[in-house]
Amino acid sequence: MMASLCMDHHARLRWFTREVLPHEADVRRWLGRRVRGLEGCDVDEIIQEAYARIWTLAPEDIQNPRAYLFVVARHIVGQILRRSRVVAIDLVADLETLNIVDEGLDAYRILSGKEELDRLYAILDEMPERCSQAFRLKKFEHLSQREIADRMGIAESTVEKHLSKALRIVSEKMKVASHLDVKDGVDRDDKSWKWG
Amino acid sequence: MIVTTSPGNGADIEGVATAWAIRVAEGPLAHADKQALDAWLAEDSRHLGAFVRAQALWLDLDRVVALDPLAAPAVPDRARPRITHPLRYAVAASIAVLVLCASIAYNQLAGRVSTSRGEVRTLALDDGSIVTMNGGSTVQVRYDGNARRIVLRGGEASFKVAHNPARPFIVDAGGLEVRAVGTEFVVGMDKGQVAVTVEEGVVAIDGAKGAAGERLLHRNEQFVDASTGARKAVLTSREVQRMASWRQGLLIFEGQTVGAAVEMVNRHTEIPVIIDDPTLVHAEFMGVLKIGDAHAFADAIAQAFNAEVIDEKTQLRVIRKRTAPSH
Repeated sequence: MMASLCMDHHARLRWFTREVLPHEADVRRWLGRRVRGLEGCDVDEIIQEAYARIWTLAPEDIQNPRAYLFVVARHIVGQILRRSRVVAIDLVADLETLNIVDEGLDAYRILSGKEELDRLYAILDEMPERCSQAFRLKKFEHLSQREIADRMGIAESTVEKHLSKALRIVSEKMKVASHLDVKDGVDRDDKSWKWG
Repeated sequence: MIVTTSPGNGADIEGVATAWAIRVAEGPLAHADKQALDAWLAEDSRHLGAFVRAQALWLDLDRVVALDPLAAPAVPDRARPRITHPLRYAVAASIAVLVLCASIAYNQLAGRVSTSRGEVRTLALDDGSIVTMNGGSTVQVRYDGNARRIVLRGGEASFKVAHNPARPFIVDAGGLEVRAVGTEFVVGMDKGQVAVTVEEGVVAIDGAKGAAGERLLHRNEQFVDASTGARKAVLTSREVQRMASWRQGLLIFEGQTVGAAVEMVNRHTEIPVIIDDPTLVHAEFMGVLKIGDAHAFADAIAQAFNAEVIDEKTQLRVIRKRTAPSH
């Protein structure tokens, strides 16, 4: 499991960010319906395990990252259930035969740029002010932690803490399925803004 | 191992992973840090997964932030693309502009070409530019020595423009001027508004309501000139591709409402599809259809929503199955 710091780390991370991450909310939603209340099944942990497995594979071996993520997640749930003594065997069988193609594998939409921005700004609004400020200086103005520390008049280590907390908050918010806060079939007017 | 007997639940792992992701993103790790990170990652595969996730989220935020045209304070002014001279973009940019507008007004017949519903026609113009017309569209070609001008009288068309900075290529749509330079773009008209969507490259727009002077529109941006005023939106490449899918003779739906899909389909067919059930209209529809194939569309709706199609010759009526069990 030491592949994380190998040579092509950044190229691989870009691939992962582009091809796998966008589907996380859907897999969470799909998992959530299935493992709720099952002992030993924590969606966060299933996602972590799935990401670890996908990360150790070569991207070129994964033809359809979205499908692969669903399959890996299902496989992990199956492993947990098989280890568990309290789960009835027919539930395991049921899980193995689940047709994920019918259930969201193909049915998804990507948020528009405007929707993504709206969501980010909503998250920033909810953050503690210092977190949000550090985040904006880092991501919008591309300052180093040293420069942010100078700008905010705080220690560099405090900047790091603020940024970590900001990312942690983003991380939690991104777990919520994008579908839930987006209306289907939005017309163009809904994601437009006044020009000029 | 992902059994919950191991120390630390998923949430605690995320806190540690997040902190590492921030530190790694800032620059190369000190030797001691690197050892500590490696040791932590080696403890449990979930640690690696959480670390990958945190790094990916952090990286992805750069993409999201870059979507904001109003932000962009990071680039000094001198480094920003100069936008006052669209001709600078002349190098084989590919642009798609989609213009929707309603007023099919007067008739000036010279150079006029119309398509019937369900017909997608390609015109090769003498300068090497190519016009692809959507169904039910009318364009008028007006070329002279100074400019290549196309007037869109109604409907929608895609323009692949041969590069010639000396003779600008201008599409006139409902009073809106869309100027492209060495580009490809689509223009259409519907319901009193003009919408311009850029697939690739840059176009200059002039004559928008309530907007003085020329505006530039870049890749994946959409400009809408409506009676309520002009506005701009940023789309994903996927959405833009979907909007231009008619060029391949296809209509692609990815979760639009059935109502919106029907409107699109009916623009291309002589026999309209009528959805005779208010609950169906708001359902979301996914699928790829050949343009003009209203029967296939009606059948797909019926299959997806447990409805049935009644062929009434002049129209296809989709109703809920009368025998369907209530749910």
